[in-house]
Amino acid sequence: MRRLAARRAVRTKRGVMSTLQLWGQYLPQFLAGLVVSLQLTGAALVLALALGTLLVLARTGRIRVLAAIATGYVEVFRAVPVLVLLFTAYYSLAQMGLRLPGFWAGVVALGAFYGALYGEDMRSGLQSVDPGQREAAVALGLSNGTVMRRVVLPQAFLAFLPPGTNELSNLIKDTSLVLTIGVTDLMFQANAAAAATFQPMDMFLLAGLVYFAFYILLSRILARWELNVQRRRS
Amino acid sequence: MHVVALYWRVIVGGGAVDLELTAIAVAVSVVVGVLAAIGRVYGGKLLGGFIAVYVEIIRGLPPILQLFIIYFGLSQFQINLPSFSAGLLWLILYGTGYAVEIFRAGIEAVSVGQREAADALGLTRAQALRRVILPQAWMVMLPSLMTFLVLQVKNTTLLYLVGIADIMYQARLGTSATEQPAIMYGMAAIAYLIINLTLSRIGSTLERRQALYR
Repeated sequence: MRRLAARRAVRTKRGVMSTLQLWGQYLPQFLAGLVVSLQLTGAALVLALALGTLLVLARTGRIRVLAAIATGYVEVFRAVPVLVLLFTAYYSLAQMGLRLPGFWAGVVALGAFYGALYGEDMRSGLQSVDPGQREAAVALGLSNGTVMRRVVLPQAFLAFLPPGTNELSNLIKDTSLVLTIGVTDLMFQANAAAAATFQPMDMFLLAGLVYFAFYILLSRILARWELNVQRRRS
Repeated sequence: MHVVALYWRVIVGGGAVDLELTAIAVAVSVVVGVLAAIGRVYGGKLLGGFIAVYVEIIRGLPPILQLFIIYFGLSQFQINLPSFSAGLLWLILYGTGYAVEIFRAGIEAVSVGQREAADALGLTRAQALRRVILPQAWMVMLPSLMTFLVLQVKNTTLLYLVGIADIMYQARLGTSATEQPAIMYGMAAIAYLIINLTLSRIGSTLERRQALYR
């Protein structure tokens, strides 16, 4: 088994200046890592949303077998830790002949897991729409497609947004797991820098600052977007 | 298939380690979480604000980074925690951050009228909390508490990185010995599935039983 984690510090010479100097030295590397983390997030999000849509279509559709499969998928994938899925995508699939590069193994594992979560969120979004809304639209003579597009989906989307955005910030944090299969994301860079400098706290704190700044920024943007959508709808 | 016969005991042993850690960590973080949630809601600006910042930090940082800060980061200051303590400490710190939010949501879900009524009847604040608010909050919180338990079981997968002999650790060890990742990680997946599906089943049973008392 390869030793992944940084070695623990042996002895240290401390000083705020030396910490800041180290941060300045390693920041470019960390930002390059952040870019990888974001690409991973983006690709996994696309896959998860597509998968979630398929799952919700299958679950609400008329074909019983498909609905059962989709429900089973959601139940199982929500109960298995992401790390197990990641190792399965990276090592187990390779044993079966499908050798994915680390980045894409990460996308597949995260997409498969968050797809299950999104499938569930979308379904409860749809269920939250009062049946009276659909009945009223039908009574007004709207066609089935129009009812879905103009009445049901906009309201379901509103209910989907809060859990959906919450899941997105979890997804970003979970991309840090790809460190374990050697993808050079932000966490990987922090770990490498910690091992190289023997100053693990300094390096992990810098990574923490980058992650946290991004987390705050993203949650503010998403909150504002949610508010905008709500205002426009009501 | 003899790999399965050879390794299932080891995986079950890893599962016992995972469950032990989860049980201790959840028990501690539920107790601390209740107190912190009361502090967050009734504690005024300073205490409430401090707890809110703590929760944001726990939620904003990737779990793996938090674990590494405790295990590797602290060694920079000559604080070398043993694997088990470091893992447990992280699970508790992380869990407390989540438990606070669950209990806060629970307390806030109880209508203000209930608290006012308790006040009007002359109950002290502590009595009102213990007799009126927390029992009602408990019902609101039950589903999220079970989700929280499952979340913590999943979080134990990270602990192999600091050398705790949990399911993941055993599966990785088994993989390097047998070169059969599909079987080893398949067994790990099944072990987690059994644990987590059992937990959520218990959760929904409890929920149904609680609902009867409403």
